[in-house]
Amino acid sequence: MLTVTSLRKAVPGGRVLFQDLNLTVRNGQFVAITGESGVGKSTLLNLLAGLDRADAGSVVIDGTALELLQDDELTRLRRDRIGFVFQAFHVLPHLDLAHNVALPLVLQKVDAHEALARATGMLEAIGLGGRGADYPRQLSGGELQRIAIARALIHRPGLILADEPTGNLDPETAAKVMALFVDQVREAGASVVLVTHSPASAAVADRVLHLTRDGLVEHG
Amino acid sequence: MIRRRMTRWILLVIWLVSCGFAQAPARAEGPVYADVLPGHSLTFPADYGAHPDFRTEWWYVTGWLHTPDGPRGFQITFFRSRPDVDQNNPSAFSPKQIILAHVALSDPKLGKLIDDQRIARQGFGLANAATGDTAVVLDDWSLVRGADDVYTARAGTEAFGLNLHLRPTQALLIQGDRGYSSKGASAGEASYYYSAPHLSVAGTLRQGGRTVEVSGDAWLDHEWSSSFLAARSAGWDWTGLNLDDGGSLTAFQVRDAAGQPVWAGGSFRDASGATVVLRRDDVQFSTKRSWLSPRTGIHYPVVQTLTIKLPSGSRQFILTPLFDDQELDSRATGGPVYWEGAVKTDGGKGYLELVGYATAVKI
Amino acid sequence: MGERGSLPLVAMRWMIVSEWRTYPSRIAIAVLAIALGVALGFAVHLINGSALSEFDHAIQTVSGDADLQVHATSAAGFSEALYPQMAHVSGIAKVSPVVELHAQAQGHAALTILGLDVLSAAVVTPRLLGRRSDGQHDPSDFFSDSAIFLSAAAMQASGRRVGQSIDITSMGHSASFRIIGDLPGIPAGQAIGVMDIAAAQWRFGQLGKLQRLDFRLAPDADRAQLSSALASRLPLGAEIVTRHNEETRSDSLSRAYRVNLDMLALMALLTGGFLVYSAQSLSVARRRPQFALIRVLGLERRSLVAQIFLEALVVGAVGALGGLLLGLGLAAAALHLLGSDLGGGYFSGGVPHLSFAPGAAIAFGALGVAASLVGGLLPARDAARSQPALALKNLGDAIDPRVHPRIRLALLLVVLGAAGSLAPAVNGLPIFGYASMALLLAGGIAMMPWLARTLLWIFLRRPISNVSLSLAIQRLWGAPSQAALALSGIVASTSLMIAMAVMVVSFRGSVEAWLYQVLPADLYLALDDSGVGGGFDAVTQNNMRHVEGVAWMGFMKETPLRLAPDKPDVWLIARTVDGPAGGLPLLSPGLAVPPNDIPVWVSEPAAGIYGIHPGDHLVLPIAGVTPRVFVAGIWRDYGRQQGSIVIDSDTYTRLTGDARRSIASVALKKGALADAVIARLRAVLPAGVADHLSVSRSQEIRSKGIAAFDRSFAITYLLEAIPILVGLIGVAATVSAQTLARIKEFGMLRHIGVLRLQIVAMLIAEGALLGAIGGIAGIGLGLAMSQILIRVVNPQSFHWTMDTRIPWLLFIIVIVALIVAAGGTALFAGRRALSTAAVTAVREDW
Repeated sequence: MLTVTSLRKAVPGGRVLFQDLNLTVRNGQFVAITGESGVGKSTLLNLLAGLDRADAGSVVIDGTALELLQDDELTRLRRDRIGFVFQAFHVLPHLDLAHNVALPLVLQKVDAHEALARATGMLEAIGLGGRGADYPRQLSGGELQRIAIARALIHRPGLILADEPTGNLDPETAAKVMALFVDQVREAGASVVLVTHSPASAAVADRVLHLTRDGLVEHG
Repeated sequence: MIRRRMTRWILLVIWLVSCGFAQAPARAEGPVYADVLPGHSLTFPADYGAHPDFRTEWWYVTGWLHTPDGPRGFQITFFRSRPDVDQNNPSAFSPKQIILAHVALSDPKLGKLIDDQRIARQGFGLANAATGDTAVVLDDWSLVRGADDVYTARAGTEAFGLNLHLRPTQALLIQGDRGYSSKGASAGEASYYYSAPHLSVAGTLRQGGRTVEVSGDAWLDHEWSSSFLAARSAGWDWTGLNLDDGGSLTAFQVRDAAGQPVWAGGSFRDASGATVVLRRDDVQFSTKRSWLSPRTGIHYPVVQTLTIKLPSGSRQFILTPLFDDQELDSRATGGPVYWEGAVKTDGGKGYLELVGYATAVKI
Repeated sequence: MGERGSLPLVAMRWMIVSEWRTYPSRIAIAVLAIALGVALGFAVHLINGSALSEFDHAIQTVSGDADLQVHATSAAGFSEALYPQMAHVSGIAKVSPVVELHAQAQGHAALTILGLDVLSAAVVTPRLLGRRSDGQHDPSDFFSDSAIFLSAAAMQASGRRVGQSIDITSMGHSASFRIIGDLPGIPAGQAIGVMDIAAAQWRFGQLGKLQRLDFRLAPDADRAQLSSALASRLPLGAEIVTRHNEETRSDSLSRAYRVNLDMLALMALLTGGFLVYSAQSLSVARRRPQFALIRVLGLERRSLVAQIFLEALVVGAVGALGGLLLGLGLAAAALHLLGSDLGGGYFSGGVPHLSFAPGAAIAFGALGVAASLVGGLLPARDAARSQPALALKNLGDAIDPRVHPRIRLALLLVVLGAAGSLAPAVNGLPIFGYASMALLLAGGIAMMPWLARTLLWIFLRRPISNVSLSLAIQRLWGAPSQAALALSGIVASTSLMIAMAVMVVSFRGSVEAWLYQVLPADLYLALDDSGVGGGFDAVTQNNMRHVEGVAWMGFMKETPLRLAPDKPDVWLIARTVDGPAGGLPLLSPGLAVPPNDIPVWVSEPAAGIYGIHPGDHLVLPIAGVTPRVFVAGIWRDYGRQQGSIVIDSDTYTRLTGDARRSIASVALKKGALADAVIARLRAVLPAGVADHLSVSRSQEIRSKGIAAFDRSFAITYLLEAIPILVGLIGVAATVSAQTLARIKEFGMLRHIGVLRLQIVAMLIAEGALLGAIGGIAGIGLGLAMSQILIRVVNPQSFHWTMDTRIPWLLFIIVIVALIVAAGGTALFAGRRALSTAAVTAVREDW
């Protein structure tokens, strides 16, 4: 699914985050990446998502090399093949839950009715069935993250990128959310790259990698 | 349209003339009109000119033209009218006299008349009816009697133009009783009237872009008065004929609303120059044939039998028109409708005027 | 993979609709701003359009569609002998002579009398002919010297109907006429009376004279050739006039006034567009994280730009449509209440016709939409450029606070603006003046970030113990672009309003001072004589001088004089120039008059329009005389925009033989009672004249003058209010939007122990600082712009100069108002921020 070769990235200011990073994620594989704050986990995710460009090296997703694509093409790639879950939920406050979940579909120009119908189904699947007309401000943090997960998967992407999804949640809710997350991605058969500093979250992954200055190191 | 407005004003002036009958309250400082009185002799050359004290006056020229394309009838008339306005007004524009002019051409090839008219107030040398001799001018139209007794008449439009010299070949014909011509039973119904028959015409006619030399015979009427016709008159018929033997016949009748003659008159001058004044019972018009105008629906007695009683016996003249449709209709623009055309008779040619066959015309 | 081409319309629609549904007032304000601007521009344009068509009608009407005309150069007319001369010129088919006089009916209604020869007018100008409608049929009435035809407007103004009599006064003569019909060819609003030309000449003393000849040309005549051929044969009292000249003449009279109104309206539109820009900017800034999210999820850059433009387009379209309707209503109301000169006094009476102008509607609607789109341009570009990853982290203002705002562009604009103010007028219009004002405004606004920084830097040099104030200053310092946005709105509207206010106050003050200078006498006696001619004759003048109680008396007469065919008539004022109350308000000391030269003094507008300087020699076309005169000085005259020339009264009498004067100015002896002197003066007047006399004390005249000024500028006052209103709304919207966006920040402050009261004080301080800085900057900029108005725009438009007067009280009021408005709004919006919900908002997503 995802192949990273000899990736190099330096931040503005000169500090080099990594110079020769390699990573391979097979289809359906769940990879967790841990590391200290400031080591560049989020930057790596941005590079994988096509939101940032590496100084050198290559990122290939499902056969497509990112470094060869223009901004619009990268955008379309994200739209069609990648799902995102963020630490800060990032659910649009002025749309109701069903519309929020349906967003990736209507971005793909799926018909509105069909998109909302599928979103409603998704809401059922994550345990928030019947609440499609509620607004985000009526939900707790855990529920909001579940919405984010539903949104990340509704368009059946091949790759999910998650950035500290449980960072804003208490341990109990975090566990529930992760359980749901794993269920959903397994069901969808998607590959996952999860960035976290929570060992509990990393534990659910197939592989755990540690990001250091010298690159990715397999853990245990 | 220019013509439209012009004819409206001519009608107004004709109405003006009729003021003499209306019992209108006397205007402060209005004009005092001279009266036509019997026992007054005409003197020349003074009476060739205008008589500004009288209300209405005209110089009326009719005749036949011989052109390379055939005969034509023509008419040129200059009117002078004295409206009822305050005589104290010192302005040079004060309409103390109004000059009107009318010109018409009868072309049998066209089958109808073409005509035009003009009107202006007298003044500034632009329009004038001079006293002392015949000299009437309205912009570039004129009728002037020259030192050699020859009249020069100029009038025209875009459609046609006439530049004619009219040379008298006979003495003047003084109408009525030394010029006093009765037009009705009462003493006031009369005019001063003389004619110049058998005028020899030489000049040019411009028509359709071409100018040709013409010759012919014409007739001039000069008449003036301050009141003419009785209130009950509705119209009149008039004819002036140049006879081939050198004589001249003038005949007219005044009709009432029912078409019955209320007055008639005229004169007959034979080849030797002896003149007979025709009285009311001496003149009789009878219709031989009527013509119905397709435009106006009016019947005109275009073929008339004119019977005059002379001391030597009655004579009959049958008048036939050059062509039937010599009607002048300006009713659409508020003007009068009448028939005026070239006619011929056995032994003579002239003009016939038929007025008042549509509605009553007061004059 | 993935097609290009079509936009994800559903996604865009969801985004736009959800935003508007949540913040309807934001969108309403933006729409209102556009609507106001479009309404004002459209209304002023419609009013001007109706003014122009009134002009056209007036000209067409009075000239009656003649092919060509000869006009007299002054009301004295030319000799009627010209009429037959012209009639004989080849190429002319018919000439209609006309006596044209200004007259008064029933003592109060102004109308134009046309004396026509109906027989020629029927050919040349048939539309001027009367129609008999009194039921009478006496046809000699058409030539009557006591009959008249009146137009509908004349009947309305005089209150007389067909069949009644009417008193007409003109040129010092009065006469009574019988109304025998109307003038169907004269459109509404034109007060015209038609009578026989002989009657007009006789009744109004015009024997031997005409004012006009109308020509109908022969069909094949060459008009241009004929014009020049005729022109060379005309005496000096007559000139050829074409329709174009007439229109230009009347048009130019009020053109400058109308163009100024147009400019004011455009400024209002500009302010509206600016408000849209700030509203859009804020909205985009606030939604940056949302935009970032949806970019990450897969919305292309151009779709985002399209969305923002779509929002701006809808705002513009709805605002423009509403503005057009509002403008139509405003124009109708203004015309009804103030007349189509908006109180400027250029037209007399009558409710003018409002005609909808579809072309103008489309143009203004497009302008409104364009203003909105331009307002969305920069924000859209910003949104497109931002990096989604960065924005997601919600770092707030992406600009590095360490970067000092640049001033170069602003300086360039200001310099260009200053340079533009030195340029001369274009075609009589101060185009460069307006351009330089716009440049100054743009430069001033561009300078705001730098100015804010610099002023705040002064504060930051000393540590401030007050927490609130310190926080406020730090905040403004740290977010200069947001501060600049709020400031720009304030500065734009304030400066426009101040510029206009200073100009109007200066003008008013100068007019007041001038009124004192030109009305030094105690009493003014005028004969109610519309037009020229008539008045006190020499004997009466002498009698009046010797009345008890009169210390000094001067006499005056005004005659219109045509110096150029396409310009309005100049007023020739014959008056006593010497004497205690005879001086003129000269702009510079008068020149010594060369011997044997006749001195005249030319007014400022006349000097400007005709390019006359002191020391020049002129030839004045006073009927029949045409003297050569020496310009001894220029004097200030606010009363006659088309220009005036003063000549000594005795000299005028000597030149023209006309000793009649229509105005007397009286200086009373010490202790003399005004009423008694007036009574004695009336007693020495000839019979009949006393009835037409009006007496005014100079104070009354001054008051009326100022009232007329205020009426003329009523609409300016209104237009001034609009930008300030828009500005205040803008400030309110900006500040409240920014405040609401900082809920998290306030929550955080509360968390670290800042008291509610202190946050309140901080908000008020922020708003107050913004208001104060903006107000001061706006006033400064406004003062600069007002100087352009005073020294460039007004002189170039109207050829007037004025002395600057500063309305200090207004400045103070404006600053206080701004501080209160900005501070108050910040507080009002901030009260939400201080609710307990704010404390929990720290935890919240957005």
